[in-house]
Amino acid sequence: MSDPGDPGSNPGDGPDAAPAPDGGSPEGSGPPDEGWRGRLYRLATTSPLERLLISVAALVLSILVGAVIVLVSGWLATCREAALVVFDVGFCYDPIQVYTRLFLGAFGDPFAGGWGPLNFATGLTFKETTLLVFTGLSVVVAFRAGLFNIGTQGQLVFGALASAVAVLYIEPFAPAGLAGSFVLIPVALVAGAVVGGIYGAIPGALKAYADANEVITTIMLNFIAIKVAFVLTAEVFKDPNRQAVQTRPIPENARLSPVVFPDGGDFSLVALVLAVALAVGVFYLLWNTRFGFDLRTGGIQPEAATYGGVNAPRTMVAAMTLSGALGGVGGAVWVLMVHGRYVTDVPALGFDGITVSILAGNHPLGAGLAALLFGVLKSGSLQIESATAVPRQLVGVLRGLVILFVAMPEFFRMIGRRTVVPDRDRRVAATDGGRSPGATADEDGDENGFDATGPGDGTDPGDGTDPGDGTDPGDGTDPGDGTDPGDGADPADGGAPGGGRDE
Amino acid sequence: MSSATDVRRAVGDWADTKRRIAGLAVLAAVVLWALVGVVLPSSAVGGAFWWTLGLTADAVRIGTRESTIRAALRLSVPIGFAALGGIFAEKSGVINIGLEGLLIISAFTGVLVTDLLGPGTGWLLVPAIGPLPAIAMPSIWIGFLAAVLASTLLALLFAVVCIEFRADQIIAGLAVWLIALGLAPFASRVVYGTVNSDGVGTLGTWTVPGLSALPVVGPILFQAAPTVLMLLVAVPASWYLLNRTTFGRWVRASGENPKALDTAGVSVHRVRYAGVLLSGVLSGIGGAGLSLGHVGLFIGNGQTMVNGKGFIAITAYLFGNYNPFGAFGASVLFAGLDALQIRLQQLPAYDIPESLVQTIPFVTVIVALVLVGRTRLPAAAGEHYESGEE
Repeated sequence: MSDPGDPGSNPGDGPDAAPAPDGGSPEGSGPPDEGWRGRLYRLATTSPLERLLISVAALVLSILVGAVIVLVSGWLATCREAALVVFDVGFCYDPIQVYTRLFLGAFGDPFAGGWGPLNFATGLTFKETTLLVFTGLSVVVAFRAGLFNIGTQGQLVFGALASAVAVLYIEPFAPAGLAGSFVLIPVALVAGAVVGGIYGAIPGALKAYADANEVITTIMLNFIAIKVAFVLTAEVFKDPNRQAVQTRPIPENARLSPVVFPDGGDFSLVALVLAVALAVGVFYLLWNTRFGFDLRTGGIQPEAATYGGVNAPRTMVAAMTLSGALGGVGGAVWVLMVHGRYVTDVPALGFDGITVSILAGNHPLGAGLAALLFGVLKSGSLQIESATAVPRQLVGVLRGLVILFVAMPEFFRMIGRRTVVPDRDRRVAATDGGRSPGATADEDGDENGFDATGPGDGTDPGDGTDPGDGTDPGDGTDPGDGTDPGDGADPADGGAPGGGRDE
Repeated sequence: MSSATDVRRAVGDWADTKRRIAGLAVLAAVVLWALVGVVLPSSAVGGAFWWTLGLTADAVRIGTRESTIRAALRLSVPIGFAALGGIFAEKSGVINIGLEGLLIISAFTGVLVTDLLGPGTGWLLVPAIGPLPAIAMPSIWIGFLAAVLASTLLALLFAVVCIEFRADQIIAGLAVWLIALGLAPFASRVVYGTVNSDGVGTLGTWTVPGLSALPVVGPILFQAAPTVLMLLVAVPASWYLLNRTTFGRWVRASGENPKALDTAGVSVHRVRYAGVLLSGVLSGIGGAGLSLGHVGLFIGNGQTMVNGKGFIAITAYLFGNYNPFGAFGASVLFAGLDALQIRLQQLPAYDIPESLVQTIPFVTVIVALVLVGRTRLPAAAGEHYESGEE
């Protein structure tokens, strides 16, 4: 093996290097479970700079592959006038035009005349961004606890319905005007959080106490949520004055109105502020509280967490509840900001949240950036459809490609190794300290959660659990990471000092 | 290692005990419920008992009808094939959560190629390749093969990403799903202008001479859509391949103990490629069976016409504990629930909203998963394996 830093690259480390891989969850999930969970985690625990580079590279590569898809489909499609002619071959779509429309169009053409920053398209971009921050955070929290919450969509659906219904029920008792807003909006958000949280707790409990794989249960719960919410809306909460299956509209003072972006786009700055506050809050919770520490430790090494006195099943349920609550708040914001009522064709915000989280390396602050990117893609997709005849479903393909490339960091490392030789060897040597030769650097990262619960492992770099450690000089580029002073201050971080391992 | 094994065993025993207690508790509750039903038939609880009993009776009555069983078999084609494919991939050590994507891409490609070659069942001459003679084939069957090819190519991409580039299998599988979920409606809009394709007809019905004359099972099993018959062949064939051949032994070893396989001189990578590609081929048949075998067009809105069947397939093979027969049984069970709910709704006594009844299969999957509990995954599934020699 040329690169000892590769996860799972050493044949010898399967059975013995990972300490007691079985019995991972209290019910004793098998080693492979730990395997891919650990791997998921590792994806998030590469150094922040590398993380960022991989995400950017994945994005660039997706755009290139997307361009090829645009060309090929433009060659297959029939159109009156070719958008692009190369060597006498006409293509209906021009990739460069598609991407300019996509990225510039998402901000309403900054280089065109008469441009103002508060235009419709920008509002739309921020609207999508805001919603994706909530669902992205939802997935981040679960991921950090070692759980793959694909069910954010269902949690969002129920949260959305609950918030609309709650507002409609207390509407008669709420004061009019702005005073009413201060009652109704918090009620809606709390209702969304509670119901979303409960619905998130179900797969958490099934995982913690019955060892039912949460990937499967959350997918099933999504289907159930969408159908049950439809029935509830149609049979119980339906607006009698409308043909469509939707609830009655919530009062005007319960809506998050687009005050700053009057041109529409259904974007409310208040919602964005809430989203950012939640992102910072989740970041603080995960890295500066006892609960956050337990949650992350449980995500990396459940049996170590148990050994350290963490009630692993309860933490698991709590993490899923929090994750579901964040999805539910996202649903509430969607109702309050976008439609002003619950409508049954809920956009796939929850699924996009997975993409956001994965692209962000499961970091709450990175989720903000990733959400902005997907906000641009979504808003821009409408622009390409109107301006270039390319179906907006292209963005769905790009989404899948981004995930695919983010999933294969090794690909970029191979390319990187061919072009520049990074200082990985040094890093690996340093992180490998004190471990059996068979162990890999990344497993060391996993191990850290264990060591940190027990006192005094000074050799352990602590990078595994803590993406915030400022060892990488390039950190400054990754928002929040390098600047995070919280590592050393982490109250539960025991004897594992965060940064400075290879300096 | 031995102490860890002991711990695992102890934990497993305790889990079994708990499950047994839970089972007894459920049984006791049902008995109590029945008692209330007998003693107080007019009470709400008692009434609910008789209602449930009636529902069960009706379900059994309708469920044993020939048309229901036929529908169940037809609906089990995509689930069953994807589940068989999932078994090979996962047994070889690669968790293929992208089965849903493979179904989507093959369902669409089958329709697209059939349509591009010309609607209906016009005959098309495949030019001779090398020593092979020219083959004449209805365009719908060429579409069928193209569907299998498309699914296999996507599986190949997945395999390369997982095996060569050591991608996380779960995330890469998710990516396969998302790519197909984006690509098929995108391509449909490029070609057809909408996310739904034009109709291209179906593969029709095959009748197996002789066997179809058998009483009861004959018309159900041997006079069916070609893909149903293929599934009936594929299930025992998969079982045989997995359990009685050298290749099957390699596949199992690759998932359980890749190092041993490597030591024995068999390339783990190759076996895993084979496992994943097989999942592509089988899922391709399933996807084509859905669009060409049954519906006759591609539906691309929302979650597309596949609508979670790939994920139900994963549950089916977990439920069947990686046994092709078990996976097939689970597939038929899940598909049967779907077929049953459509028919039960037509009875006035069960005038419950359609969407609510449609949740039954999904609820069942969760309940099944909880009751079956942990299925033991192959020990090295999800783990990348790198041969020591380089």
